[in-house]
Amino acid sequence: MKTQFNRRGALARLGGILAGVLALPVARTAKAAVQRVFVSSGAARGYDPSKHKWLMCIDVNKCIGCGLCAEACKKENGVPEGPYFRTWIERYIIQKPKPGSGQTRGETLVDSPDGGMHGFPESPVPRDQIEHSFFVPKLCNLCEHSPCVQVCPVGATFDAPDGAVLIDPKYCIGCGFCIQACPYGCRFLSPVTKTAEKCTLCYHRITRGLKPACAEICPTQARIFGDLLNPVPDDPIQKFYEQNRVQVLKPYLGTAPRVLYAGLDKEVR
Amino acid sequence: MTSEVTNIVVEVLPRFEGYVYPNEATAHPLWGFLIVLYPYITGLVAGAFIMASLVRVFKVKALEPVYRLSLLTALAFLLCATLPLLFHLGHPERCYEIMITPHLTSPMAIFGFVYAWYLMAVLLLELWFDYRQDLVEWSKTTAGFKGIIYRIFTVGVTDVSPPAVALDVKMGRILSVVGIPSAFLLHGYVGFIFGSIKANPWWGNAIMPIIFILSAIVSGIALCVFNYMVLTWIRRHTVEMRCLDTMAMFLFYALLVDAAVEGLDWIHRIYAAEEGFSVMQTMIREKLFYTLNLGQATIGTLVPFLLLGSLQLLRRRVPEMVRRRMISASAAMILIGVLAMRWNVVIGGQLFSKSLRGVMGYKMEFAGVEGWFMGILLLGLPFVILTVLVKLFLSERLPTSGHTPHGSSTT
Amino acid sequence: MRRFQMPPQILRLVLLTLAIVGSYMVARVFLTPATFGQYGWYRGAALEELAARTPVYAGKKACDECHSDILHKLAGDAHKTLSCEACHGVSRTHADDPDILPVKLTGSHCIRCHEANPSRPAWFKQIVVKDHYSGKCTECHIPHQPTQSP
Repeated sequence: MKTQFNRRGALARLGGILAGVLALPVARTAKAAVQRVFVSSGAARGYDPSKHKWLMCIDVNKCIGCGLCAEACKKENGVPEGPYFRTWIERYIIQKPKPGSGQTRGETLVDSPDGGMHGFPESPVPRDQIEHSFFVPKLCNLCEHSPCVQVCPVGATFDAPDGAVLIDPKYCIGCGFCIQACPYGCRFLSPVTKTAEKCTLCYHRITRGLKPACAEICPTQARIFGDLLNPVPDDPIQKFYEQNRVQVLKPYLGTAPRVLYAGLDKEVR
Repeated sequence: MTSEVTNIVVEVLPRFEGYVYPNEATAHPLWGFLIVLYPYITGLVAGAFIMASLVRVFKVKALEPVYRLSLLTALAFLLCATLPLLFHLGHPERCYEIMITPHLTSPMAIFGFVYAWYLMAVLLLELWFDYRQDLVEWSKTTAGFKGIIYRIFTVGVTDVSPPAVALDVKMGRILSVVGIPSAFLLHGYVGFIFGSIKANPWWGNAIMPIIFILSAIVSGIALCVFNYMVLTWIRRHTVEMRCLDTMAMFLFYALLVDAAVEGLDWIHRIYAAEEGFSVMQTMIREKLFYTLNLGQATIGTLVPFLLLGSLQLLRRRVPEMVRRRMISASAAMILIGVLAMRWNVVIGGQLFSKSLRGVMGYKMEFAGVEGWFMGILLLGLPFVILTVLVKLFLSERLPTSGHTPHGSSTT
Repeated sequence: MRRFQMPPQILRLVLLTLAIVGSYMVARVFLTPATFGQYGWYRGAALEELAARTPVYAGKKACDECHSDILHKLAGDAHKTLSCEACHGVSRTHADDPDILPVKLTGSHCIRCHEANPSRPAWFKQIVVKDHYSGKCTECHIPHQPTQSP
């Protein structure tokens, strides 16, 4: 690097000026229209990401643990086989306390065999020893202050204007920092693409006016998908708000998720 | 290094106890041995540089014999510091993006710049200013390939008049002063990579950068001791006891501060006993038992602390031979202990689920990118580079100029 | 006084620094993707690319185009919240080409949801299959109108 540097030095000064000039168009595109509409042939037309704000509401009391959502997600998004899930279901079994133990509850068992995508085996605890048991569907929590986006070193994962937290598969370097930073375990390093992957809210579906595969397939409407900027008549999101007191996962981390839960228990993390 | 072998022995068959998120149930932790090496190597760089600064900035004359050696050590390790990071990437070919579109809220994005700054603006420059006079001299007297290398490194500046040399010394001092915060920045930021992850209670900790810096200084000084002993042994020189004793003294005090701060961290963790404390207890008792209690606490801290501490009290009464042995043994143990500490931080943070309901296991393989072989290779590479650097720039056959690094000969 | 003259080594370094910074700037211009920064600190084109994927599940709306009669029946009974593909499987090919029939169903689809399980909410209809009936579900229940019998 230190050779021939006379010529290089002169060149560099020239290059510096040149760079300044050339950097201008880049800056201009940066400012350019957020309003730009999708044009590429394969994509949905007329979708404007700035005109939507997606969220998902989950009613734990409605989840029956059938696993159709986890299965549909794998099929819809071509998620690799194995311990890789964009959405999954957890089963919580909170046992009754032992008599005289002086505790409010017994031990809590949690499992999610194969992400719950093939349903759940029989409860390891007999019914009469169970105090509470329920299923909790999990997915990307759509954080307002996403720790995963914050730590991405190259800008490969980002909060899209419509609230989806996405990963650019062509730009991700596969460092895994975002996976470490996600408090909810919602990301994984794909063994196929060697990049981080996560729930995209089925971006290819929602941009076409379809629901994400998990919300589409859920037989009990435990998952309600909605748009904060475009309320529909008799909006299920609005109803969800009115009927429930909502909670988010790990609120103390200040991530402000936009995946809202009704009927959570303190054991759910 | 032996400390990791034990973890394999501990590995029990049911790999997951309790509940771990489905995405966490992978065969290996996301960040393996390479990411253990990364803070280790970076720490050695920062520590070796601080060691050299003792001579230049704090004018510790006793350490002059190791001044250049520590700078070259820092350089050799810095040249390898990016390699473990690079190899662990899913797409190493995209690494340039980190410089082209650095996402400024990410501690990792700053790495490219901190690294470039430290390598180019601090370490290489300080070395250059320190060596400039010699390089000009050597380029005139040495023929062949070596001569060409020296000539290239002079960058065409042949002015070795007294005012020019005086300027070199002054610049060197300025760079050293700039270099200390830079070394802190370089390694403090590595600590911040882990300390900033609030999702992980094992990592997310405000004093993580400080712990990283302090352990880096300890390991860097230990490495300089180690390298100095090896070099004198190879060259069949006698060890300058004044220099070695001074290094041992700084090593002891650095270790003292490091152990105190790390101890404080542990007291805080145990006393606060926040959410997830129980899962961490399981981890310490089972998964990290050997690397933490034996590697980090006993081999890495307690034994060297006692050895070096006793030397501080009884230096006069211990024969030189024994002192040499004790100091080099302490240095070697500290080097192992700090590696164990990095292991405990990096791997430890991935051995429990973020659901705080279960623990995972880790079995290191021999082959593969994250395996033993690669790790040893990457740890050996800086020493190979250092050998070349020492051959080129610390050759006994070359005369060195009279100016001293701390510049007392000029004003 | 000709006091200030830049020393040669400093001059070289300044030039070298300019060279490095300059080449970085040039590289930056050439290597930054075109749509980077369109919406934020990422490649704007990534949104389109992610949206370009073809959906696998056709969605209830697609079924409504031909089977509105069944959907109407469904909407009037307890299975109104069900998506067609929850039971009939991925039917995109069928939606694109009605000649390709969707997957045939078995009773295991019913059991997947209705098998008794202590973790299921109490409001949800559950049966213990072995105590219930050993024949086909459809002998007594119409899947599209589960409260009615055939």
